[in-house]
Amino acid sequence: MASKDRVFIATIGDEDTITGVLLAGTGHINDKGKKNFLIVDSKTTSSTIESAFEEYTSREDIAILLINQHIAEQIRPLVDGHTAAFPAVLEIPSKTHAFDPSKDSVLKRVRKIFGD
Amino acid sequence: MEAIGFNAHSGFLEGIIRGYKAGLLTTQHYNSMTQCETLEDLKLQLSGTDYGNFLADEAPPIATSAFAERATDKLVDEFNYLRSNATGSLAKFLDYMTYGYMIDNVILLVTGTLHERDTHELLERCHPLGTFDTMPALCVATNVEELYNSVLVETPLAPYFRGCLSAQDLDELNIEIIRNTLYKAYLEDFNDFCQSLGSPTSDVMSLILSFEADRRTLNITVNSIGTGLSKEQRAKLFPKLGRLYPEGNNILARADDIDQVKSVVENIPEYRDFFSGPNHDLSEDDNGNSAAEGLEEHFFRHEVYLNKLAFMQQFQYGVFASYVRLKEQEVRNLTWIAECIAQNARDRLGDIVHIF
Amino acid sequence: MSGARENVFPTRQNLQLVKGRLKGAQTGHSLLKKKVDALKKRFRTITSKIDEAKRKMGRIMQLAAFSLAEVNYSAGDISYQVQEAVSQATFRVGTKQENVSGVVLPSFEVKRDKSDGNGDFNLTGLGRGGQQVQKCREIYAKAVETLVELASLQTAFVILDEVIAMTSRRVNALEHILIPKLENTVSYINSELDEMDREEFYRLKKVQGKKQRDAEEEEEKRKKQDAHESEQSEDMLQTKDPDIVF
Repeated sequence: MASKDRVFIATIGDEDTITGVLLAGTGHINDKGKKNFLIVDSKTTSSTIESAFEEYTSREDIAILLINQHIAEQIRPLVDGHTAAFPAVLEIPSKTHAFDPSKDSVLKRVRKIFGD
Repeated sequence: MEAIGFNAHSGFLEGIIRGYKAGLLTTQHYNSMTQCETLEDLKLQLSGTDYGNFLADEAPPIATSAFAERATDKLVDEFNYLRSNATGSLAKFLDYMTYGYMIDNVILLVTGTLHERDTHELLERCHPLGTFDTMPALCVATNVEELYNSVLVETPLAPYFRGCLSAQDLDELNIEIIRNTLYKAYLEDFNDFCQSLGSPTSDVMSLILSFEADRRTLNITVNSIGTGLSKEQRAKLFPKLGRLYPEGNNILARADDIDQVKSVVENIPEYRDFFSGPNHDLSEDDNGNSAAEGLEEHFFRHEVYLNKLAFMQQFQYGVFASYVRLKEQEVRNLTWIAECIAQNARDRLGDIVHIF
Repeated sequence: MSGARENVFPTRQNLQLVKGRLKGAQTGHSLLKKKVDALKKRFRTITSKIDEAKRKMGRIMQLAAFSLAEVNYSAGDISYQVQEAVSQATFRVGTKQENVSGVVLPSFEVKRDKSDGNGDFNLTGLGRGGQQVQKCREIYAKAVETLVELASLQTAFVILDEVIAMTSRRVNALEHILIPKLENTVSYINSELDEMDREEFYRLKKVQGKKQRDAEEEEEKRKKQDAHESEQSEDMLQTKDPDIVF
C-alpha cells in the first residue's frame, strides 16, 4: 500500500461544509480536471453520492475522505461496507445536523468489539 | 433639484418609502427575538412584525438560509414596486442602485464562464436586485471573449467594463480585482450622477457614498496587506472619492501594516474609533490583527448611522438608497439571529446592529 | 481432536522432528499471546481516544460553521467563488509510520503550505469581509487539522483491528489445532514405538523359545538315535538271521 502518495483530503458535504474545508485549503483539481469535493444539496441523487464515494475511495491520491453524517446516512450500506484502512472515511457533523455517535460506522465497530 | 416640484413627481413614492421605513424592526423587536429558543419561535415572533407570515410556505425544519431568502424577497418586492412607479431621474437613481448588485452577478457569471460551467445554473444564485432582463443572454457566452462582448451590448455596466477592463483582463486578473475595479468605477459614476441631481440629494448621497468609498478603501488596504496584491494594483482599486481621498488614499496605497492605516484614520474624527473598541472575536489573542477584526462591525454601525440621517431630510432621493441599505442590514441581522439560535451561540446574539 | 495427528511414520527420527516442532509452536504461541496483549492495550487507548475525539469534533465543527456564518454576515455568500477559485490544495497530509509491537501504524500529519501570499482565497472578500474570511480560513484549517488527527486514530484503529484479529487467529490456531496435533503425533509415535518395542521383545522371546525348543528336540533326537544305535549293535548276535539257502 503506497500510502505516501496519498496526500489529499476529499470531501462530500453540503455547501457550507464544503466552503469551509475549501477555505482551509483542502480543495484540489487534478490534471484531468477532477475535483476532490462534491457538493450535495436537496437535488443530488443518492447514485451521484454513491459514485462519488466510490471514486474517492478508489483513488490512489486521497488519504482522508470527509463526509457529512447526514449524507453518509443516505448511502449507509456503502459507508459501512468500507473497511479498508485507506482512505480513512470520517463522518463529520454539518451545520444543520449535529453528530450522532450511534450512527457512526467506526464507532459502531468500536461498540461491536467491546460488546456493549 | 427644486423642493417645490418634488412632491409632484416623487412625493407619492417618498411617502411609501417612509411608510416602509416605519416597518423596519426596532430594538424592541430584536430584544424579543433574542429570547427565542428555536427557529419556530423566531418565525412566530416575526409574524407579529411587518414580515407577517412570510415563512408560511417553508416546510419545517426551517433552514436559516430561508430567513435570508424570504426577507430578501420582501425587500425585492418593495423595491420593484418603487421602481415600477418611479419616473424620470428617480427611476434612473433607482437603476443606479441596482448596478452594485449587477456587478456581483456579472462577476458570478464571469467566474462560471472562466471555469466552463453551465452558467444557467448560476442565474438562481444571482442577487435578485441585480437581475436584468437580458441576463440569460449572457449565459449563452461560452468563452470570456464572448461574455465580454455581451456584457458591453446587453448590460448597463458597459461603461465600467469598457473604461477599465479588456476581455483579456477578464481572463488574467484575479476575479476579486475585477470586482473591485468595477465597483470603484460604479461608485465614482454613481457619485457623479448624484452630484448632477443637485442639493439636497447630492448632499445626502455624498455622505453615504463617501463613507462607502472610504470603507472599501480601508477594507482593501487591510485585506491586501501581506497578500500578493501589489501596491500599484491596490492603489488602482481605491475609489476616487470619499473623505480619505486624495491624501489618505495615497498613504494607504503604500501602507504595510495596520498601524499606518490607523494613523491615516486618526485624521478623520468620525472614523477615529474604528480601530479601537470592543471586538468579540474568538481568536482575539492569537491573531496579531485583532484590532482590524472589529472593523467590519464599526463599519456596519456607521453605515446604519449615516443611513438613518438620510431620513432627516425631505425632498431628496437619498432615502431610497438608505432604505435599501437599512433593510439589507435588517436581513443580515435576521440571518445572524437565526444562525445564533440554530447553532446555539446565544452569547453572540447581541452582535447585531440595531437600527431603530 | 484427539484423533488429529500428523501423517508421519512412527520412527525415532520423526519423533525428534515433531518434538522440535512442538517446542517451536509453544514458544511462538506464548510470544504471539504477548503481542496480542500489547496490541490490545494499544487498541483500547486508541478506541477511547477516538470516542473522545469524535465528540470533540462536534464542538469544533460547530465553531467553524459559526465562523462561516460570520463571513456570510459581513461578506455575503462566498461559497460559489470559493468553489471556483480552487486549484491546488494548500492543505495536504503526509503519512508517517509508527511501530507498535511489529505492526506498522501509519498516521497522518498536516502539511500546510502557508509560504506564499498567493493562496486561492487570499483576495476573497477584498472589498468587504476579508478579515472574517481569513479568520474563518484559520478556524476551518484548525478544524480540519483535528479531523486529520481523528483520521489517524481511525486508521490505526482499523489496522490494529485487522492485525489483532489476525494474530488472535494465529494464537487460536496454535493453541487449538497445531499444538494438540503435534502432541498427538508425539504420543502416537511414542505409543507406536512402544508397541514396536514390545513386538520386538515378544518376537525375540518367541525366537528364543523356538530356538530352545529346537535345540532340545535336536538333543532328544540325538539321544534317541544314540540309544538305538547301541541297541542295534548288541542285538546283532541275538537276532536270528534267516536261513541262507543256496
